[in-house]
Amino acid sequence: MFKYILLIGKNLRRNLLRTTLTALGTMVLVLVVTLVWSVLYLLDGVMAEKGANLKAIVTERWQVPSQMPFAYARTLGEGAARNAGDVRPQDSMTWQFFGGSLEPNKRTREDLVFAFGMEPKKLATMMDDLDNLPAGQSQQLQANIRLMEEKRQAILIGRQRLAEVNKRVGERIKLYGVNFREIDLEFDIIGSLPPGRYDQFAVMNRDYLNEALDNYPRTHAGKKHPMADKSLNLVWVRVPDREQFSRVADQIARSPLYSDPAVKCETASSGIAAFLDAYRDLIWGLRWLLSPAILVTLSLVISNAISISVRERRLEMAVLKVLGFRPGQLLILVLGEALLIGISAGLLSAGATYFVVNKWLGGVALPIGFFPVFFIPVNALWWGVGIGTVTSLSGSIMPALSAGTVKVSDVFSKVA
Amino acid sequence: MPSDGIIVRVSGVHKFFTRGSEQVDVLNDLNLEVPEGEFLALMGPSGSGKTTLLNLIAGLDRPSQGEVRVGGQLISKMSESQLARWRTRNIGFVFQFYHLLPVMTAYENVELPLLLLPLSAAQRRRQVLTTLELVGLTNRDRHRPGQLSGGQQQRVGIARAIVTDPSLIVADEPTGDLDAKSADEILDLLCELREAMQKTILLVTHDARAAQRAHRIQYLDKGKLVSTEIELPRAS
Repeated sequence: MFKYILLIGKNLRRNLLRTTLTALGTMVLVLVVTLVWSVLYLLDGVMAEKGANLKAIVTERWQVPSQMPFAYARTLGEGAARNAGDVRPQDSMTWQFFGGSLEPNKRTREDLVFAFGMEPKKLATMMDDLDNLPAGQSQQLQANIRLMEEKRQAILIGRQRLAEVNKRVGERIKLYGVNFREIDLEFDIIGSLPPGRYDQFAVMNRDYLNEALDNYPRTHAGKKHPMADKSLNLVWVRVPDREQFSRVADQIARSPLYSDPAVKCETASSGIAAFLDAYRDLIWGLRWLLSPAILVTLSLVISNAISISVRERRLEMAVLKVLGFRPGQLLILVLGEALLIGISAGLLSAGATYFVVNKWLGGVALPIGFFPVFFIPVNALWWGVGIGTVTSLSGSIMPALSAGTVKVSDVFSKVA
Repeated sequence: MPSDGIIVRVSGVHKFFTRGSEQVDVLNDLNLEVPEGEFLALMGPSGSGKTTLLNLIAGLDRPSQGEVRVGGQLISKMSESQLARWRTRNIGFVFQFYHLLPVMTAYENVELPLLLLPLSAAQRRRQVLTTLELVGLTNRDRHRPGQLSGGQQQRVGIARAIVTDPSLIVADEPTGDLDAKSADEILDLLCELREAMQKTILLVTHDARAAQRAHRIQYLDKGKLVSTEIELPRAS
């Protein structure tokens, strides 16, 4: 086996430029496939229905974005349970979105901070990815939660956003309301959110926002803020299994409390799937057009390179046959060359993509819904190897067969 | 090895090719016997079938009709894989244009057929170095073909042909691409090897001087052995 690998390596070294270009082509295409599959992998993951420990989302039934009165918050958090036998969720969380600009008259993206208004303690129990932090980060988060509960003006901002708005922990900022016009709030930045999916977001105490909305009429001749009854965007409830989810959803659907506006309760995955429905064609295209097209292109690139190489070496193949190499051994030699390029380039590309995207860039910014940053899963290393193997095998099988079936007498009669 | 001492026996061999609807006869009812240890030269004009006959004997092609036996084995009925295995151990092939692999050193080129045999690295090394010494190229083992003269490349080609210790060496115009001096050296080497290692050598050549080194010359014309064989005094 080692002798074969040496022979394969020597053959690849014969035309280093072509081998390098083929490997580079493979790496670029594997890079694109890895990025596309990473996005699809993440979306598939969040849209996959869980069997247990489900999170359900309650939103306004007929409108996107959902804007419900905050009065719904308490009862929805209890799953609209009214009677003794009703199911109550294990936990719940409300989200009120507050977008504010650092500049009163310049409301560009560079100056915007988007915050989830919520109960601080829910950060540790209901937010995806924050409920299983490493010990050090978890302790820091708990300390920040305590601070936020004591001090309503406290805000946690994601690291990237903090850097982009050029602010530091400890500074005081004022955010001029964008979706809540004339609600301008001052905040003390007490810390940053743990690195990851919330790098572009902020979290504030919901009471601070609600207090500002309550105070609004005092300075506006008794008039309520236009968003006063539309400030609740989402309610999350956690239920142990699908049966309990169905019962909670049923309780909410039957409750007379939520008639204007009406609400709906769905699992997080189906909610996200419904939200992503707008991107359905794009996702379908990524999955069924772009990915296969790249894989076919990759096979053709490898096939082309190996075919040229085999054609150039027909005489050598014939010589090897004369020396006693069997057709199967020549086939393995040619397949081996393609596999060595494909697997090495695939692994290298996927590995480099993993480290560059995850460790260096901190994720790929592809803002769809609440997925601001996509990371490359560790599985991508196997994808690289798999893509390299499959495409190099499929691309080189014909040239390899042609090498194995070289007719010695024909080749030498042409030489003579 | 057959008890009658005949290493190559070609019996009633026909070889034809079809070109469109036309059948081209290359060898026609050909019979040939080569005793073990003989140096036989095959001569004839271009297209007379010399190389085709050589290919049949080396197991690189199959006759359309008839039988080819080498070392008592009926090679004309072997499968391609069986032939490949058989060639590794039984046939050494020397080409006119050397056909060394350009990415490999002289050592690696000679080692190539040994990779197909169940030998350890140490055994292979010993065998390659011994063979390179036999052909006088010990100090050129790290050179690639492009760094060697034509005569030296042909010596590497001969070393590659004999490194597995085959009983039959077939050489197709081995001096055809060499100047007279180098050609003489190569022929000297072939004669020395035949004598020292008791190899049977089948030489296809247009060169009468080269053929003179053989024990026997057979002429082919239009696919037939046309003249009485010429027995030459055996070189001692």
